[in-house]
Amino acid sequence: MKALQVQNTNKYFYTPTEFHVLKDISFEVDKGEFVAIMGKSGSGKSTLLYLLSTMDTSYNGNIVIDGTQITGQSKKNLARFRNEHIGFVFQFHYLLTDFTVLDNIMLPALKLNKKSKEEIEAEALELIDLLDIKGQEHKKASRISGGQQQRVAIARALINSPAIIMGDEPTGNLDSKNAENIFDLFRRFSKERGQTIIAVTHDDDFAANCDRIIELADGRIV
Amino acid sequence: MTTNQKIVQVFLTARIKQLVAAVLSVMFGISMYVFMNSFMDGVNTFQSDITFSAMSHIKIYNELKGDPRAIITRNKADELVLVSNAKNIRYTEGIKNIDEIKKGLKDINEITGIAAQLNQNVFIRNGVSKINANLSGIETQEENNVFGTAENIVQGNLYDLDKRNNGIILGTGLAEIIGVSLNDNITIQTSDGVSKVFKVVGTIETGAASLDRSRALVNIDVARQLLNKNKSYATDLMIDVDEYKNATDIAKSIQPLTQYKVEPWQEGNAQMDSGELLRNIIAIATSLTILIVAGFGIYNIMTMTVNEKIKEIAILNAMGFNSKDIIEIFLLQSIFIGFLGGIAGLVFGNIISRIIDNTPFQLGLLDSLPMNYNPQDYALAFLFGLVITFIAGYLPALRASKLDPVDTLRG
Ligand SMILES: Nc1ncnc2c1ncn2[C@@H]1O[C@H](COP(=O)(O)OP(=O)(O)OP(=O)(O)O)[C@@H](O)[C@H]1O
Ligand SMILES: [Mg+2]
Repeated sequence: MKALQVQNTNKYFYTPTEFHVLKDISFEVDKGEFVAIMGKSGSGKSTLLYLLSTMDTSYNGNIVIDGTQITGQSKKNLARFRNEHIGFVFQFHYLLTDFTVLDNIMLPALKLNKKSKEEIEAEALELIDLLDIKGQEHKKASRISGGQQQRVAIARALINSPAIIMGDEPTGNLDSKNAENIFDLFRRFSKERGQTIIAVTHDDDFAANCDRIIELADGRIV
Repeated sequence: MTTNQKIVQVFLTARIKQLVAAVLSVMFGISMYVFMNSFMDGVNTFQSDITFSAMSHIKIYNELKGDPRAIITRNKADELVLVSNAKNIRYTEGIKNIDEIKKGLKDINEITGIAAQLNQNVFIRNGVSKINANLSGIETQEENNVFGTAENIVQGNLYDLDKRNNGIILGTGLAEIIGVSLNDNITIQTSDGVSKVFKVVGTIETGAASLDRSRALVNIDVARQLLNKNKSYATDLMIDVDEYKNATDIAKSIQPLTQYKVEPWQEGNAQMDSGELLRNIIAIATSLTILIVAGFGIYNIMTMTVNEKIKEIAILNAMGFNSKDIIEIFLLQSIFIGFLGGIAGLVFGNIISRIIDNTPFQLGLLDSLPMNYNPQDYALAFLFGLVITFIAGYLPALRASKLDPVDTLRG
């Protein structure tokens, strides 16, 4: 079974003028594959990722994730699906600033409600350790550095062990050492746990070490 | 605590100032509601207390019918019927057998007291002066039950009327006019010319001057004897019910039990009924307006909160919280505000009422503004407060749930 199938997908923006942003996109990603999406600024990478994340539902075409037909599902089902199967790291590391680092990481798991609070906390602390943000867990998310915030966002994306991890420049804000650390972590998760990684990146070194590069130009795969 | 409740807790405590402002606006609304209604209730109670010190909720008496019945009716079209000077003739006076009526009323649970009265205009003589008075033969126990008569006795004791068959209690004004005081003797003369000497055993003052200047009380049996009436004769049956507002309905249910006129107090006192209604309308209108203003306060604060939290809403949505969760998260915040503001408002409203209640304010018979502490007012204030915060919070919450996360997250 494929981790991701995108078939003949088109997306338009209608404001300010009609704009065909994604043009007839079709591709597939295997389970456990680590894929980089590259392309010039404005080529449609983020837009594509929002479709894959199930948050953007206004498009034509067909998207299947992990064998589940995403296209045409109700918002409620999609929310539930995202919660369980997709980990998302935004281009701008979005955290809930009133909450502590630990709460931010735990929230998706608390929402999923499949494990006890204690288990979730243990797993969150483990991720904090892996991502080298130890000592920050009880600080408010607004009180840590940009790079730390990005790593908290990554930890949050990983907490429910999703089948697919999507990142929009997940290492964009990090120094090379931390970026390398995250890359290694993704690599390991894809190998050992069979998690599929789809990451938008401008970093050629990052992309070079991925299993595959999908290149976008003007809304088309090249 | 559920995950949504935890989020609510964090959101609320992160903005303490806003929370306090919102709670205060609800508190203000609720406390004003409580105060206004306690005050209006107090005024209504005061008004009805005065009114019903001399009037019962329902009165049964023998009514002289208004329109004379047609004596001869026209049978053929070309027939002319002329009856000049048709008159009603009252064949019977008063109520002949009150015991029978009383027995019939036993099954009506709303009735709290029945007092028979025998009222008759008489002359009171004291030496040379001869004064018109209204002699009221009363059943002392029942009379006190319905009118609280004993409380109005200034000198002497109401129940002395039962102990001696020549005892009489005079209104203070009447006693003054005649110029008699306690233990003096006076002579009562009926329209039939019967005279009897009475001893003044007490005086009574209700506050209604016309009543105090004309009323003389004796035991009903003494009055029957004086007027040569049988054992269960009376002119009026005064009836009190548990809820005076329902007197009209109860009177309707009594009417079939007797051929006499059953008259609820509303019939002759429309002005009092409508006065109370107007006061209630004013109280409800003002307090609801205040509550609605408080509701707008919450609406504004919650709308602001939603606007501030647009990013958070999108993130929650991206993490897998659905619209129902978002509505719950924002609605719970308003409900919490409504609950806290409601409780604070009840306490504060009670404090205001007590302060006003204890502030001296001389006005007629009043020492301070009348105030009622009616649990129903408090319950309604709390309920309205919750309903209004619910509505005021629901609209912004609904809007929050409809926000498109992608629009927000695109940056
Ligand atoms: N809400 C929108 N309405 C209209 N046009 C939009 C909207 N969002 C994006 N676009 C347009 O769609 C195109 C693709 O945008 P997108 O954000 O996907 O680019 P990107 O490949 O992620 O670029 P970058 O590398 O800078 O992040 C751009 O030309 C942009 O102007
Ligand atoms: Mg982008």
